[in-house]
Amino acid sequence: MSRAQLTSTVEQNTGGAVAPAPAGKNRIINGAMEISQRGTSFTPTTDSTYTLDRWIARLTAASKYSVQQVSNSSTFVGFQNYLAVTSLAATTVNSTDFYTINQYIEWQGWSDAAWGTSSAKPVTLSFWVQSSLTGTFGGSIWSYGSDANYPFTYSIPVANTPTKISITIPGATAGTWNITNGGSVVVNFGLGVGSSFTGPAGAWVYGSYTRGANGAVNVVSTNGATWYITGVQLELGSSSTPFARAAGTFQGELALAQRYYEVSSGNTIFSGNVTSGVTYYTTASFKVTKRTSPSVTFTSQGFTGFASGAPTSYQSGNTEIWCGNAANSTTNGGFFQFTYVASAEL
Amino acid sequence: MAIRYEEITNEFGQKQVKRFDEDGTIWFIPTDPANSDYQAYLATLAANSAPTA
Repeated sequence: MSRAQLTSTVEQNTGGAVAPAPAGKNRIINGAMEISQRGTSFTPTTDSTYTLDRWIARLTAASKYSVQQVSNSSTFVGFQNYLAVTSLAATTVNSTDFYTINQYIEWQGWSDAAWGTSSAKPVTLSFWVQSSLTGTFGGSIWSYGSDANYPFTYSIPVANTPTKISITIPGATAGTWNITNGGSVVVNFGLGVGSSFTGPAGAWVYGSYTRGANGAVNVVSTNGATWYITGVQLELGSSSTPFARAAGTFQGELALAQRYYEVSSGNTIFSGNVTSGVTYYTTASFKVTKRTSPSVTFTSQGFTGFASGAPTSYQSGNTEIWCGNAANSTTNGGFFQFTYVASAEL
Repeated sequence: MAIRYEEITNEFGQKQVKRFDEDGTIWFIPTDPANSDYQAYLATLAANSAPTA
């Protein structure tokens, strides 16, 4: 089915039904913050920690802010969930520091923007945001190849009040955007960015990347400050249209997220009569084909006739893993079982 | 304790990287250039072998 044939109707904060929106117009996966396979509360201690699905925390010092998936439909009317950042200290942001929330968009979902060419199309980033702070906040669109950036600012005039933001960005006519099944566009919201990683808002700069705009509010510099966001949408064109999930449906959105990260829903089991020293194999198919061969961790294991712990070997492809385990005793009714997490994140 | 890596060859003859996280999680990382965990491993290797001034 072509993208044009897929439609969905959504309700917006302004109230009332809106015209059907084409599924796939939104290039942000999990823009409504509905999917969080890793849990619902995070205090990132290392850089590049994934939080809600597809949303990654970048940081230069541990435990300066927390991230939560909050379910509360009264905060942003029309959205059940939002991503909540809370500053955990009054952190000084030095010139080379950065604290951001990002989403890396795969090239496969961006190729029609024609960025990096003279035919580059404009895009519009829109989102709902609320903060305990007021002022001018910042972020940046930059290339995964780190050679093009567009800092942007947005204003939150009233504390603790939802604000709809819409920012139109001209197409990038240079930069490295085509990295096959790798990253393309990075959407970056600044929570505190040092001067080495900021630039003037509202213009493309090529040959470098930024993580924020000059003069923006540093959320992490106020202990207890909050910053909430949901309804994030990045679409082709020069105007903001009503929010739609990237896939049009919740189930479709989950499947999009599982291209990058998947938690197995049940045990994979090998069972049979086993002989000590012989290796036995089983396979587990992923629910969704992965972006690339994923990293795998085994999260739960059971065994009889095999040593405890993870299978002794495995091999992963985009669609499945093959696991081998060497029996350590000879027994009828031997088995080993496991659950897993597979990560093919950008 | 920082993240620790170990290179292994599995029974299928494939090279892999085992990553030991601070929380005790062990990840098996394929040597796939498109895998971002493998890219991070290579970056760590490069940083550790870079000459210091």
